[in-house]
Parts: sequence; structure tokens; C-alpha cells
Amino acid sequence: MIVKSDDIIIKTIARIFVPFIQLYALYVIMHGHYSPGGGFQGGVILGASLALLLITHGYDEMRKRIPEGVIILFGSVGVLIYAGIGLTCLLLGGNYLDYSQLSVILHVDPAHARSLGILGVELGVGFTVMAVMYSIFFDISTGGILPDDEKKSSEWGDNG
Amino acid sequence: MEVTIFIHAADDAFRILENAKERAVGLLDTATTLTSEARWMEEKRVQSILKGAQEARSGFQNFVATFVILMAFWALLSEKFDAFHLSLGVICSLIVAYISHDLLFANVRVGDGRIIAQRFLHYIPWLLREIVTANFHVAYLALSPRMPIDPQVMTFKTKLESDISWVTLANSITLTPGTITMDIEEREFVVHALDSKVAADLDTGEMEDRVAHIFMEADHIYIQDVLDVSRIFTELKRGR
Repeated sequence: MIVKSDDIIIKTIARIFVPFIQLYALYVIMHGHYSPGGGFQGGVILGASLALLLITHGYDEMRKRIPEGVIILFGSVGVLIYAGIGLTCLLLGGNYLDYSQLSVILHVDPAHARSLGILGVELGVGFTVMAVMYSIFFDISTGGILPDDEKKSSEWGDNG
Repeated sequence: MEVTIFIHAADDAFRILENAKERAVGLLDTATTLTSEARWMEEKRVQSILKGAQEARSGFQNFVATFVILMAFWALLSEKFDAFHLSLGVICSLIVAYISHDLLFANVRVGDGRIIAQRFLHYIPWLLREIVTANFHVAYLALSPRMPIDPQVMTFKTKLESDISWVTLANSITLTPGTITMDIEEREFVVHALDSKVAADLDTGEMEDRVAHIFMEADHIYIQDVLDVSRIFTELKRGR
């Protein structure tokens, strides 16, 4: 079970720092082809910012802020972006994830198309990693049993 | 003969007194002009608090303020100022500001932001000076062969009202060598102090007053009076 943190210092500092952590994560994703970092690293930082909010603000508020449906959606959309870009390259006559083929659609030279293609793929990876990281943390910290389920089972007298 | 000398002396004394009075009136005038502007602002604020006219900032204002700060942070990180990267920055800042606009500026009142920022910047040099002086004291405690430490845990009730001011005070205490904030519970600070001197320093409550002054809480108008008086004193000293 997630116990909401009582420590006012941790809670307030987390509140102030989370927007900056999230922006830093997006920076790492967007600049993955210039500097160290990329989709996975940025996604993990983004997931960590959500985990920090979950620890400090508790289960109820996080559920209000980001419903589980949205997390699942993000995880799927990320994979879809990755596979979509790869398959588009395949359909345009190149190899899977051969970004230079995208120059036909994007109307730019192949080198530029590679740059944009890898940015899209990293965005997809980032979404999926963020969603999955948060989902794993959520599941571990709740022990797989959501508080709502606990309430229901105790109301019905069901110990299973 | 002696009577004339006496009359002259009395005359001189009278003239000196007159001069002193004039100078005092002039100094008081300067003091009034110095404080009147600050006082007018404070009074207006208190009036609006009493009328309930001062409301929490709206979500949109928070959104815009968060966006501007995040965009500055992005420019600092990215260091690429071509159109493509700047537009990426705008999009990312918009997304983050949309997700978490209620996090950065929770419970900031309308019109307070600039004053808080200004006063916070003025607070930092004072805090640095405190840190340096406390540093020397702790170094003395550590290097002294007798090692005259007297560790103790003290608690005090705070008059501050919001979470951000509690955190500012707690972190200022922790940053100052010799004292560490252990816990805040129900507006009560639990502080570990290395010896009775640092504990007594903390007990004077100057740090708490200054934090209250930054965030305009508790008896900050009274604190403004104290700060004004110190300005008048410097003016008086300069006049002499």
C-alpha cells in the first residue's frame, strides 16, 4: 500500500521540482541525437517524476491527476509510433526503421529525414518507457491490490 | 561682566538647541518619505485582505507563469536557439505547464509573486552571512581541545502559515551549520542544535521573522516597521 508522505518538507520540495524534472526529461528525449540520452533515459526520468509525485502526494491524488487508462494509452501509443515509423519505412521500399526513406513523405533530404525519424522513434520509446516505469512502480507499491478492490472485498467479506 | 558671559552662554546653548531641533525635524521628514511608499503599499494590501478582494491566482495565471519559467529553463539547458529547437521547447514547456501548473505555484496570491521574489533575493545575502558566522563557531567547537559541545533537541511553535514558508525556514535552519531540522509536526519544529549558543541564536526568532517577512505572513507588518526603523537609524548616522 502507498502511504502518503507526512513530511511537509519532502512534499513541498517535490511539488516545486517535479515540473523541472519533467521538462528535463523531455529535453533528454528531444536532444537524444545531439547529446547523451534519448528515449529510454528520458522516459525513465519522466516515470521517476511521476513516481516521486505518487510517493509524496499519495494514491488518490495521482489517480485524479493521471488515470490508469491514460497510462495504458501512452504505453500503447509509444509502441504504435515506433512500429508505425518502422513499417512506413518498410512500405516505402527500404528496410525496417530505414529513416532515409521518409524523405519522400517529409519533402526533405535523406540526412534530415534520418534526424527527424530518429526523433519520432525516441518520442515513442520515451512514452512507452514512461508509462511502463510508472505502471511497474504503481503495481509494486500497491502490491497488485488497489485500495478500491480492498474496500470491495472487505465489504463483501471476501478474503480471497 | 559675569552676567554678560552667562547671557552669551545661554544664548549659544539656545541656538545649538534650535539647530538640533531643526536637524531632527529634517531627519524625521526624510524618514517619513522613506517609509511612506512602503507603508502605503502594505496598507492597501491589508485592506484588500480584509475585504477578501485578494484571491488565489487563477489556473491560467499559474499556467502562464509556469510556462515562462520552464521556457527559460529550456533555453538554459538546450543552448540551441534555432527555430526548430525553440519550437520544440515551446511545445514541451506547454505540455509540462499543462500537466503540472498547479504544482509550482500552489497557494500564491495575486500580486504577491514579485514582492516575494524581491524579498527572497534580499534574504539570501543575510542567510549567507549567518552561515559563514555559524561556520566559524562550529569550527571553533570542533577544533577546541575541550570540545565544548552540548547537543540538544529543541522544539518551537512556528507562527508561519504556509508550507513553502515552513520549508524555507526548515532548510535555512539545516543550511546553517550547527542546527538541523529533524521534523515539522503540527506547526512545531523539532531542531537538533550542537550547543546552547546556536540554540539561543535560533531561539531569538530572527530567522523566522525574516521568513515571515518574505512570504508576508503572521506579523510581517510589524517586522516591516523594524526594518524601516533600521533604515532611519542609518539615515541618522549619515546625517551626523
